[in-house]
Amino acid sequence: MRTRIPLLEKKEPVDLQRQFLVTTVIILAIFFGLAGRLWFMQITKGAFFKKLSENNRVRVFDIPPSRGIIFDRQGIMLVNSRPSFNLYVIPDDVQDWGRLKEQLSRLLDLDPEQIEERLAQKRASPIYPIPIKLDITQDELGLIETYNYMMPGVYIEVSPQRNYPLGPVAPHVIGYLGEITPKQIKSGRYPENRMGDLIGQWGLEKEWQTELGGKKGGRFLEVDARGREIQVLGIRDSAAGNNLVTTLDWDLQRTAQEAIQGRPGAIVVLNPETGEVLAMTSSPAFDPSSFTRKITAKAWQALISDPLKPFQNRAIQGQYPPGSTYKMVTALAGLEEKVITPETTFYCNGSFPFGNRRFGCWSKGGHGAVSLHKAIVQSCDVYFYNVGLRLGVDRLARYATYFGLGNLTGISLTSEKSGLIPTSIWKFKRFKTPWHPGETLSLAIGQGYNLTTPLQMAVYTAALANGGKIYRPFLVKKMISPQGQGLKEFSPHQITSLPIKQENLQLIKKAMAGVVNEAGGTGGAARLWSIVAAGKTGTAQVVGLGKRGGRDHAWFVAFAPLEAPKLAVAVIVEHGGHGGAAAAPIARKIFQTFFHLLPKGAGTTSATSESTVQPPPEFPTEEVSGD
Amino acid sequence: MIDRRFIQNFNWSLLLLVILLITVGVINLYSASQTAGGGTPVYMKQIYIAATGFLILLVILFFDYHLLLSLAYPLFWISIILLISVFFLGRTVSGSQRWLPLGLFSFQPSELAKIALILSLAKYFSNNEGQGRYGFRDLYFPLGMALLPALLIMKQPDLGTALLLLLISISIFLFLGVAWRTLFISLGALVVSLPLFWFFLKDYQKKRVLIFLQPESDPLGAGYHILQSKIAVGSGGIWGKGFLKGTQGQLRFLPEKHTDFAFSILAEEWGFIGTFLVLTLFLLLVLWAMNVARQAKDRFGQVVALGVGAAFFWQSVINIGMVVGLVPVVGVPLPFISYGGSSIIISLIGIGLLLNIHMRRFVIQS
Repeated sequence: MRTRIPLLEKKEPVDLQRQFLVTTVIILAIFFGLAGRLWFMQITKGAFFKKLSENNRVRVFDIPPSRGIIFDRQGIMLVNSRPSFNLYVIPDDVQDWGRLKEQLSRLLDLDPEQIEERLAQKRASPIYPIPIKLDITQDELGLIETYNYMMPGVYIEVSPQRNYPLGPVAPHVIGYLGEITPKQIKSGRYPENRMGDLIGQWGLEKEWQTELGGKKGGRFLEVDARGREIQVLGIRDSAAGNNLVTTLDWDLQRTAQEAIQGRPGAIVVLNPETGEVLAMTSSPAFDPSSFTRKITAKAWQALISDPLKPFQNRAIQGQYPPGSTYKMVTALAGLEEKVITPETTFYCNGSFPFGNRRFGCWSKGGHGAVSLHKAIVQSCDVYFYNVGLRLGVDRLARYATYFGLGNLTGISLTSEKSGLIPTSIWKFKRFKTPWHPGETLSLAIGQGYNLTTPLQMAVYTAALANGGKIYRPFLVKKMISPQGQGLKEFSPHQITSLPIKQENLQLIKKAMAGVVNEAGGTGGAARLWSIVAAGKTGTAQVVGLGKRGGRDHAWFVAFAPLEAPKLAVAVIVEHGGHGGAAAAPIARKIFQTFFHLLPKGAGTTSATSESTVQPPPEFPTEEVSGD
Repeated sequence: MIDRRFIQNFNWSLLLLVILLITVGVINLYSASQTAGGGTPVYMKQIYIAATGFLILLVILFFDYHLLLSLAYPLFWISIILLISVFFLGRTVSGSQRWLPLGLFSFQPSELAKIALILSLAKYFSNNEGQGRYGFRDLYFPLGMALLPALLIMKQPDLGTALLLLLISISIFLFLGVAWRTLFISLGALVVSLPLFWFFLKDYQKKRVLIFLQPESDPLGAGYHILQSKIAVGSGGIWGKGFLKGTQGQLRFLPEKHTDFAFSILAEEWGFIGTFLVLTLFLLLVLWAMNVARQAKDRFGQVVALGVGAAFFWQSVINIGMVVGLVPVVGVPLPFISYGGSSIIISLIGIGLLLNIHMRRFVIQS
């Protein structure tokens, strides 16, 4: 029944009885060892452990890590940290809850309910400190220290707090810290963090939380019955977070922020040859330092219910029709698809009859005979109605998509919006009605269903500037250790190259230079005296005008210099009216800052520099207006 | 099928030992579940499970264990298939996929793998009895047999059970005799491959090992658990704080007090008297298993008894070692004491096998 296979190496016989004996000895020895260990812990050291276990006299204090610093591309500190004092309560050490709550609400100016609410969120164990108020003021600190002896269970801990030495810089990009929410704790994505910890809740602070945050340390203490430290049972040092060098340029960022302050809108500045975001601003903004102190519910409510939505990063979340800044897409599509040549001429008498409707040109008097160059320079709508009609909606949409319009740019910020480039299929799916050719006319001049974000428009402008390369815009150049060692470098990422002829692109760029520099151009307000800038104005029609006293949104996209461009800019001013008047001067300020075209000593926002450096346009900008 | 001699030869003391351990376990779980939430208390569940386990044990006694010779390898492959299916169908609990949901309850295939591996090794070594020590050629196959489920279990990840499978297998090899040359070469290879093994560990597993080597390094995380467990055990003193009077356990300082750290509740409430008693019960259990192995009438029965004995030995040593801070926290339950359905059932199946082998030790197989 049982088979026996002869085995090799059987020279050494096994004495099983001896094996049993040896094994039994080993088993006895190991169990004896365990018993010895139990003897040692329970009898020899029993008294020591017993003392520790009474009221559980072990306390755990966090050692918060210092958070990574965020620099601009030149190494200017945009965000660093300062010490803050936080007040905690350890439930096990509290003797009189009623009195403690009363004292704290008086000394810290807190509602008793607020304290109650905080205490309700106890941790798994009553020996962990519960944060009551973060970042208390010097005065409060003094009061607490004076009365501390009367309030057993109250502790002050020092932790690093975010500090903004230059004021709010690109708050929508850099983001802010906030207390970790119960939901985030449950999600398991923050295993190191507990209630009361501040983590990145928005922007780079959020995207880079793990890297910036560092590693928390802790002290494990034995304390006496009154909570005073007797000895340290264990300690783990914290590890500082890594620093980030962003692609932002402080000078440009500041210029952009100041230039748009007070008006809702957004500005994006890219390096067209890399996709680096040199500046990104959204207006109105918020002050991230107001969240470092525990923000009151009222102030928070006011911020989030503000109709101008200061938290929205309009640069990536604002979706607007591109208006006439879209005309380069229409023109390129026309040239590439050979429905027009550079010489093709259409006649503009101020409007374009189609079906039983008339589509107007912004210039009521008309532009006369218009070829490609003049059409872009003077932003003639009738010309582009004709081109759009010849192309059809889907061919037009294809070229828009080449430029990344209607798709996420892939920048590493959450909540980016994709915008919309309509096609006939899209419309059928959405509305169950076929495409109407008249709608193509609106699309050809960037109105209608078209929606783009300012960042998309900047990527598009950069691609026009750099010969057709689409880069993924990025915000972080490198990550360096707290000691200054480079840890990670981020290189430009080219997504695609446009399948277009360079000669066609050159024609477009020349026309864009004309927009800024030629007589009759709509973008004269962006003209520079020593460098040739190129751009395009746009006016996004706002449906239901007059709601917010609103005018149309003003667009301006531009790059400079014409040859070997170094900057690509997209500007939108909500309800700013015409792009040439409201948005183009902002682009000019950015160019002036970057190319150092400001007179020595002049402030970046100096109104006088504008009028002295800038040669006055051929005619007042009010009349030049976008479309 | 049941001979009168079987009853004469029945090992009543082993059965009594197990009933004692389970009773201690249930009483201890009663204390541990004082602070738990609603639902059926865990000690009641443990009683139901133990009753089911005894039923299975009884059924096992009716069949001659030689029946398992032909079932060993199929059982092994079934356990492998279940281990693989865990990755697709398994329930994830605190980061690892160990449980297969089976309607009313869930089941840990890694526990089944333990028994299947012991049976398969026993079958292999009874087929390849040999007169001398085993060399490489003889051990390739059984080693592979151990590594296959161990790697799958490590992937779940459940480092404790994976290590347990390897420890059981190696214990069997060493007991049956390994050629000296083979032994030394393997030891050398192990030392060399240890750093390699390190790379395959998950971050949290590395952390546990590091924390074990230096518990002060993480006073907040796992080091906290070890320290709290040590305080619980140590504060028990000689006589303990008394049933239901443990402060560490009752004040919810202790992690996993129902399962892996059940012994520390026991230590706190019953003191050294209690821990010494339970330790002695485990020692007797392991020695009984060795005795069953010694008296087994054939190689298959002998190796099965050895394997079951090794499983009880390593589980109790690792779990108690963990609770007193001698062994890294790897998550091995203490047989009969820790709460856990699969563990109790499989442990009782192991006892059933021991009893079965023991009562058939004189009977000539027909």
